[in-house]
Amino acid sequence: MSKQKKPAGGLNIIIVGCGKVGTTLVEQLVKEGHDITIVDKNAKKIQELSSLYDIMGIVGNGASFSVQQDAGIENADLIIAVTESDELNLLCCTLAKRVAKCSAIARVRTPDYSKEIVYLREKLGLAMVINPELEASREASRILCLPTALEVNTFANGQAELIKYKIPEGNPLVGTTIAELSRKTATSLLICVVEREGEIYIPSGDFTMKKNDVISFCTQRNFSRTFFEDLSVKTNQVKNTMIIGGGKAAYYLAKRLIGMGINVKIIENDRQRCEDLSVLLPKAIIINGDGTDEELLREEGIEYAESFVALTGIDEENILLTLHARQVSNAKTITKINRINFKDVISRLDLGSVVYPRYITSEAIIAYVRAKNESGDSNIETLYHLFDHRVEAIEFKVDQESEVTGTPLQALDLKRHLLVAFINRNGKIIIPSGQDTIERGDTVMVVTTHTGFNDITDILK
Amino acid sequence: MNSSIIRYILGNVMRMEACFLLLPCIVSLVYGEGVGLYYLGTAIVCLAFGVVMAWKKPKNYVFYLKEGCIATSLSWIVMSLVGCMPFWISGEIPSFTDAMFETVSGFTTTGASILTNVEALSHTALFWRSFTHWIGGMGVLVFLLAIIPLSGGSNINLMRAESPGPSVGKLVPKMKYTARILYIIYFGMTILEFIFLIIGKMPVFDSICTAVGTAGTGGFGVKNDSLGSYSPYLQWVVAIFMILFGVNFNAYYYIIYRHFKKAFKMEEVRCYFAIILIATAIIFANILDHCVSIFDALTKSVFQVASLITSTGFSSTDFNLWPQICRTVLVLIMFIGACAGSTGGGIKVSRVIVLFKTMIKELHSYIHPKSIRKVNLDGKPVEHEIVRSINVYIVTFVIIFASSVFMVAFDGKDLVTNFTAVLTTINNMGPGLAEVGPAGNFSNFSVFSKFVFMFDMLAGRLELFPLLILFHPSAWKDLISKRAEARKF
Repeated sequence: MSKQKKPAGGLNIIIVGCGKVGTTLVEQLVKEGHDITIVDKNAKKIQELSSLYDIMGIVGNGASFSVQQDAGIENADLIIAVTESDELNLLCCTLAKRVAKCSAIARVRTPDYSKEIVYLREKLGLAMVINPELEASREASRILCLPTALEVNTFANGQAELIKYKIPEGNPLVGTTIAELSRKTATSLLICVVEREGEIYIPSGDFTMKKNDVISFCTQRNFSRTFFEDLSVKTNQVKNTMIIGGGKAAYYLAKRLIGMGINVKIIENDRQRCEDLSVLLPKAIIINGDGTDEELLREEGIEYAESFVALTGIDEENILLTLHARQVSNAKTITKINRINFKDVISRLDLGSVVYPRYITSEAIIAYVRAKNESGDSNIETLYHLFDHRVEAIEFKVDQESEVTGTPLQALDLKRHLLVAFINRNGKIIIPSGQDTIERGDTVMVVTTHTGFNDITDILK
Repeated sequence: MNSSIIRYILGNVMRMEACFLLLPCIVSLVYGEGVGLYYLGTAIVCLAFGVVMAWKKPKNYVFYLKEGCIATSLSWIVMSLVGCMPFWISGEIPSFTDAMFETVSGFTTTGASILTNVEALSHTALFWRSFTHWIGGMGVLVFLLAIIPLSGGSNINLMRAESPGPSVGKLVPKMKYTARILYIIYFGMTILEFIFLIIGKMPVFDSICTAVGTAGTGGFGVKNDSLGSYSPYLQWVVAIFMILFGVNFNAYYYIIYRHFKKAFKMEEVRCYFAIILIATAIIFANILDHCVSIFDALTKSVFQVASLITSTGFSSTDFNLWPQICRTVLVLIMFIGACAGSTGGGIKVSRVIVLFKTMIKELHSYIHPKSIRKVNLDGKPVEHEIVRSINVYIVTFVIIFASSVFMVAFDGKDLVTNFTAVLTTINNMGPGLAEVGPAGNFSNFSVFSKFVFMFDMLAGRLELFPLLILFHPSAWKDLISKRAEARKF
């Protein structure tokens, strides 16, 4: 509220641009108790949002100095620019950095800039550059590497993975308790979360798994494959993929997949875009046609596709395409959902994997904000919301000694509904048992149904 | 419809009013007056009701404009009902209608009275009468927002329903802090005025009552002749503070945080001062002959203009006896009222500016039919939605005004009395002209007319629509049927 006083526990955050990502950020950051000011050219949008959330709205161009002043840039701790235009976002952040002592986060998604992202970030002094399409394509490519998984999240610079898996009928896991798991597989892993009929459990040792449970387990990189082999589940990386829609996300994804040796076929409606793509991705097969045309899909061999990724700009279309693909083929399907909010309806549909670009980015930002807000001794490295925001997986960096360090986990008085999923000690992933300890210099991942953890000591009661 | 949140808000309002009712109890202790017991009794009953109503927390804190408006109007009605109880039970105002009228007039910061002899009241009653102005001035729900954690963005719907002005702007992102800042400014300025009055040797009790009365731009005096018998210094202090309380509070926020430029650039505030200047000049020139000295004329003209444009309604002289031109100017500025976002009433300067500019725009479009032009305020275009809502506001205002004049006409009073009586109640002013002038009062109206005036006062304070929504059948249908609550979302 003033230069000296700050309402306890909240940062002053300015969000420029109230599109999909902007709105998601507002929703999430308000929940975390920050003071938010939104800036957008569209007065209607501002009005809608400010009557929905406890925030202040300013109508205007976020890159203009006077508008930034109206939004209280001098007292702001963080500015997040997520407008449509990359240039505006960058200009906005550059200007804000000049006039005030705040951190800046910009969304930059054009491939032209994203190649130079590291350089841009350093030279402009940005705290973070986000690219939802790139992040979404990363997630999609991880899933395609491990098609059995519904979702793959990485921690500890990719050393550890959190994998979501739906237990099918007849799987050896059915009827097994968590404690018995080590007899079925040699892989060291930890089942962190189980979702059964819409309920979330942080399982203890005597928890018995049933068919159709969705489990989320944490393991070292590449170990997940051996685990699936132990369960005699097919886990080979897909050999080909069909992508519908040729937007930025499709480009990023195709580029990655080609790098991994996967054959890529992109179906895009716009001829000009097809030509651009064919220049950018010489190894991919670019088809110019309507991706929602059943006949065209059949002609292009949807029945034989090993994987199918719906990346058009229209969510409804993506959902229908995926449902169709699942009907006519055995392909691993991934659906991109950008805008629509009916998450519980979507999760009830049999869509396979779903990626939400806007959530991926907002999670990265929230992790940053929480770490920034905390002056204590540990920092949040990564944060994921799992199972419709009901579970948080947070990676903490432990910089200092505290109550939690040096004591065996079983001796710590931990909160309920909480698990220490792994400890990363100098790049080595430890899946902890009761005897393990947290030491200074570790990064620790905690999986919990509590929200708003800022510090590693929050895990104690 | 989320009726449980309405119940919860009402419960909290009652709890708060119970706390406020303790203040007159203290006054009665100081003066050793027995009537304090009635206030204490009301407070206890009110607290009990409030606690019961707010006991069960609502399942769902999300509500929309509709619930916000209904909660606000009901709060004001309940507040007035509770607030009038001590007057009525103690017998100081024997008739229920009169007690209710006096309380509504207090909370809505009108200051119109049915009492013929104010000085006969106990100190406790006088204090409570004036203090209702202070509560009503900034709004009780704004106060609620400042202290009670109603999380979520929904609470702007309460502010929207209660704050005067065409659109509500927050000062800081969180509602709670916005409300707190407003109340801190409000409280600070009240204290400041109190100090200035004390310096002018006004008795402490009178100073408190006058200060809270000015702050809420209310207008209940503690003397029969309002402020006429105080020294010119005191009249000047009150006049200046009346003008200050009629300024948009955002300006003070800017000044506190040293955005002087922004504060002085506010078009509304500039206009407001310009109107005051012009009105004062005209009146000053015309009452020179009636006054003993130039200074006396200046004091009187400034005081009356300040009192009427801010809708306070204090009087230092019987302006009903002034020349016709002065009376006309006073009636005109009564219509305009204070700035939006202040504690004053009336149509509000910003609405008048927008209306005026809309008119010019319309004229322009007759000359250049295809031209596009936006109405500007503070150099920023005003959204079409807001222009539209202002137009509708004025139309509704005129309709309510006209029907009220018609309804009170059955009492057989003259047109000037009826017209200014409605004007002064709907704009939360206080005194009108002729029979309801500074020397007269509202006691001679019939019970029916008094209820019409009460409605006008509430409608004027809540800016018409939040109160009118209570008359929309679907508001009640939803409230009564539990259908909406059965479903979770």
